[in-house]
Amino acid sequence: MSETFTKAMARNIFYGGAVFFFLLFLGLTFDTVQGLPKRDHRENITDAVVRGKHIWETRDCVGCHTILGEGAYFAPELGNVYKRRGGDFIKAWIKGQPTGAPGRRQMPQFNLTDQQLDDVVEFLKWTSEINTNNWPPNIQG
Amino acid sequence: MAIWFFIFAELLAFGIFFVAYAFARAHNVVLFNESQQHLNITSGAINTLVLITSSYFMVRAVAAIKQNLSRECARWIAAAIGFGGIFLVIKLFEFHAKFADGITLSTNTFYMFYLSLTIFHFMHVILGMVILMAVMLKARSGGYSAENHTGVETGASYWHMVDLLWIILFPLVYVIH
Amino acid sequence: MQFKSQAVAKPYFIAAIGLFVGQILFGLIMGYQYVVGDFLFPYIPFNVARMVHTNLLIVWILFGFMGAAYYLIPEEAETELYSPKLAMIMFWIFLVAGVLTIVGYLAVPYATLAHMTGNDILATMGREFLEQPLPTKVGIVIVALAFLFNISMTVLKGRKTSISLVLLMGLWGLAIFFLFSFYNPSNLVLDKYFWWWTVHLWVEGVWELILGAMLAFVLIKITGVDREVIEKWLYIIIAMTLITGIIGTGHHYFWIGTPEYWQWFGSVFSALEPIPFFMMTVFAFNMVNRRRREHPNKAATLWALGTGVMSFLGAGVWGFMHTLAPVNFYTHGTQITAAHGHMAFYGAYVMVNLTMISYAMPLLRGRSANSGPSQVMEMWAFWLMTVSIVFITLFLTAAGILQIWLQRMGSNPMSFMEAQDQVMLFYWLREITGFVFLIGLVLYIWSFFYKNSEAQAAA
Repeated sequence: MSETFTKAMARNIFYGGAVFFFLLFLGLTFDTVQGLPKRDHRENITDAVVRGKHIWETRDCVGCHTILGEGAYFAPELGNVYKRRGGDFIKAWIKGQPTGAPGRRQMPQFNLTDQQLDDVVEFLKWTSEINTNNWPPNIQG
Repeated sequence: MAIWFFIFAELLAFGIFFVAYAFARAHNVVLFNESQQHLNITSGAINTLVLITSSYFMVRAVAAIKQNLSRECARWIAAAIGFGGIFLVIKLFEFHAKFADGITLSTNTFYMFYLSLTIFHFMHVILGMVILMAVMLKARSGGYSAENHTGVETGASYWHMVDLLWIILFPLVYVIH
Repeated sequence: MQFKSQAVAKPYFIAAIGLFVGQILFGLIMGYQYVVGDFLFPYIPFNVARMVHTNLLIVWILFGFMGAAYYLIPEEAETELYSPKLAMIMFWIFLVAGVLTIVGYLAVPYATLAHMTGNDILATMGREFLEQPLPTKVGIVIVALAFLFNISMTVLKGRKTSISLVLLMGLWGLAIFFLFSFYNPSNLVLDKYFWWWTVHLWVEGVWELILGAMLAFVLIKITGVDREVIEKWLYIIIAMTLITGIIGTGHHYFWIGTPEYWQWFGSVFSALEPIPFFMMTVFAFNMVNRRRREHPNKAATLWALGTGVMSFLGAGVWGFMHTLAPVNFYTHGTQITAAHGHMAFYGAYVMVNLTMISYAMPLLRGRSANSGPSQVMEMWAFWLMTVSIVFITLFLTAAGILQIWLQRMGSNPMSFMEAQDQVMLFYWLREITGFVFLIGLVLYIWSFFYKNSEAQAAA
């Protein structure tokens, strides 16, 4: 690098670039948040969905599963599990854990009430209806 | 010079977007052609002339400082900034018309590119004006001379790049069908 | 060591290494659960092991950052630390809070822990990497503020170098973006959108400022290259980091319900994200080649060069591999992500901390460098750990590609668990490599105690 490229110039590029792109990011964020209601169908977020998300969080489901592809990769994707399996299967599955099959991955028994199971299903149902640009590639997640 | 590194990075970023545009266009020719007809080519063309003129003023500014004419240099820069301002105003009218039609980034792929590229460029014009402003103030207070005018050339180089990007962007997005 | 108060860095570094060991042990548990599913069930379910693994990683890296700041700032500012006492109090608070959190994860069911710690009042738990109970999160904020106050005051009363300014900006950014961890809307899409403001803007934003400053500091010390040159590089690298990385957040906004245009923004800008990492590699090698002195600490030099190379490979190359939206459509949420995560975190943040520790620890213990044999052992540790991570990454990448092929391609895709059974071989190989990594880590710790008494006498 030649002599005329001073530290002050490098510093200015840093400050200018950081501010410039952060502003751009804020602008895009504004646009995103404006447009989200059409994609997330928030009018369908019922109390049951809210409670379901709370159960999802307090059982740390994301510590094994992914949801919309984010989380751990130890257990199946659940963003579309409602479409893959349906509500009744989900409830029966959660109730039936752990399978106890030797050497197989095990899911804990959370002792959820019927109401809580319904809430989880409602949350997963709402999640499965989010417009995710057609992700995942197929029903297997 | 630092600015060349910077300009290179800028051209790279815009370049990738231009290529992406061409790629997306090839897959949606009908949509792009249809949407392009709603753009205001007149205001785009006027803006092209405005920016080229503004760039010319910066050429004069550099020529002036090479003859040690600080005040004249500052005046040419002021003129360049002024024309940058005209560009922004015309562009704002254009954006206003588009937003009034309810067009957003999510309207379709063409408008996504149109808005992204032009807003991104718009912000570069503003940044360029800020840089020119700093250079102008320093020139006015006699901070540059015939021997030492790297700052003026740096500002001019950046401004020419902003101009150049528009000269590519305008035909690419507005004209070529 | 030029200033007495730099000594507070020592417990921070020791705690960091201690927690690092814990992280690796839990990593091995998880790796084994991947192949023998019911291992330790129901005592340590996988999700608990994972929380411990990732949270220990974050906490020990934060310990490393803080230790580095306490070591580096007084030397850069040419003045004693504003309050060594505050630094020590915060050390104990952070350590106790961290350990209690881990004990909480292990001892109590997560739902009970959430209930006990006020998650019903302000629900912040149960999101990846932000699993900490509310009191821990608040504790992190308090510790961070006290820490930032301490080092900011030190810089204010002393010399203000670019390195300390960049470090300060990085650390302030770290604290500010952590605040988004308290925002947990019931709308999952919004939740995810701003969750990334903590997670992405940390690791691909402000943490890189911290990384750059730490690397620049060590390079100045071990190469003796002019500060002006190194700081100029530092600014350019972090400029490119933020120019590409801020909008690069978009590569997380492809499939979580956010608008489609993020596929373009995210792809374009994150495709440029390898540039700053590449520059970092060039920077490290360039400075070492232009060195004006032969620093006796060869191990630290090796770590510094390694940081450049491995962060480029892990964050740059492995990140680029699956960052373009059409590719990410298939790789999103598979073992590919895990592969990238492992090498990127090791290459960037683990290695820069070990670089700093390798450089500073001998000085904190009263010698300019460790003895020859000790350094040789440390270099063995370097190679064992680094090569292990490369192979862990390769095995996980192979597992990921196979997983995608079986589960996401073709007309008759397998279910998740069927596909997992097919990639078992790679999980076994990964786990075995994990043990090699552990051996490397043990050697690393051993090197601190190995044949250093003569060196001490000589110094």
